Amino acid sequence: MLMLTAMNRGVLPLAVMSLISAAAARRIGFSLRGILTELRYFLLLLGLVFAARAFTTSGTSLSDVSWLPVSREGMQDGAMIVWRLFLVVSFGLLFVATTRAVAIKAAVVWFLRPFPQVPAQRIGTMLGLVLRFVPLVFLQAGATLDAQRARGVESRRNPFYRLTCFAIPFLRRLFLSADRFTEAMEARCYTETRTDPVLLARPRDWWVLTGVAGVLSLLWLM
Amino acid sequence: MSIIDIDKLSFRYPDGTLGLDRISLRIERRTLVVIAGPNGSGKTTLLKHLNGLLRPQSGSVKIDGVDVAKDTPRARRLVGMIFQDADSQIVGETVFADVAFGPENLSLPAAEVDARVVAALGTVGLTALADQTPQALSGGEKRRLSIAGVLAMHPQIVVFDEPFAGLDYLGIRQVLREMLRLQEAGHTLVVATHDLEKIIYHTDRLIVMNDGRVVKDGPPAVIIGEVESFGVRAPCVSRLGLEAESWLS
Repeated sequence: MLMLTAMNRGVLPLAVMSLISAAAARRIGFSLRGILTELRYFLLLLGLVFAARAFTTSGTSLSDVSWLPVSREGMQDGAMIVWRLFLVVSFGLLFVATTRAVAIKAAVVWFLRPFPQVPAQRIGTMLGLVLRFVPLVFLQAGATLDAQRARGVESRRNPFYRLTCFAIPFLRRLFLSADRFTEAMEARCYTETRTDPVLLARPRDWWVLTGVAGVLSLLWLM
Repeated sequence: MSIIDIDKLSFRYPDGTLGLDRISLRIERRTLVVIAGPNGSGKTTLLKHLNGLLRPQSGSVKIDGVDVAKDTPRARRLVGMIFQDADSQIVGETVFADVAFGPENLSLPAAEVDARVVAALGTVGLTALADQTPQALSGGEKRRLSIAGVLAMHPQIVVFDEPFAGLDYLGIRQVLREMLRLQEAGHTLVVATHDLEKIIYHTDRLIVMNDGRVVKDGPPAVIIGEVESFGVRAPCVSRLGLEAESWLS
């Protein structure tokens, strides 16, 4: 679904996928406002992408101002790109929200195992640790920022000074945490020859897979 | 035979700081031993030698008769360690997955891993939270999760590093209750703390460390009056000349 969304398809396939995405979001209890809030910074990036496309694509001019060359084709192109990117990220969000990290890890290990010389187990474990570690990084960044604000760092205008003040304690805490994390893993006998995560596929998963494959085939033919 | 046998153990950190200075100790099975001492006295350094996280520079540490340096994986199976910072000990993305981390490292069959996790979560009373993310747990629950993660590996010895740090009254009672259950179930407990108040009532043996050395060792009732001369605050009841009381009573 993500692949198809990323490809350069017409309006109808994108509209169908938008409906599927909206239905799935509704089914798992996501509101449009919730999605937009989650993706607020990404939406800014999409705005920039749209503007760049609208101003740089040649075609029928929509503006009388010579230094503002907005073209009809540019706006159409920009809208399609933004729509596709938004769908890609929305599907990614839905996937992450509905799939446990352990299942993703198990799938990665299962997928990589046939490849010789690829340490599937290690990659799976590293992926799991990254997923586990990301919230901790944000927590530590937040705590460091709060500590700096409490001591009035916002009154300093020099961004490099502020960045240095933030980066040194933040990185120090981060490396210390990584050390403690490693010790805790060692204490619990971490090894690469550990019990594999089990990739579970229930009948419902196969039904969904079949349905998705059917929809994709139809959209591909359009 | 003692389950922990430490003989003339010394350790110096790379920056030259003396961590441990010729420590010799024997700890009997099924006892609850408290190691007290001020910050930097060597408590954590000593604990890290029990399961091979640190290697002795001289002397030896034996667990159940086998040198830790010669069979570190065995030592790590037998000695479960609960760290001071519960957050950096949690590896899994759910409570269940975190407890499963240790048994999975022992390469046990998946069904055995599941059975151990279910049993360990039941023991510490976290079964209902199995699918929660660990970040959503309270301080006491996180510490109990750490205990479950260690219990699922079926250790004989459980080592606690400052188990009450940062916990509220309820959290302290929860953790203390778990510790006593472990002792009743036949585990040997080694607890490093500078806060004797919460555990002294249940302690079989008190060891005081200072500057990397054991400076006092004996029954709590006998040596509690001397701990303040080594930078450890004596429990209030001892200062008032009263008998110690359990935090669970």
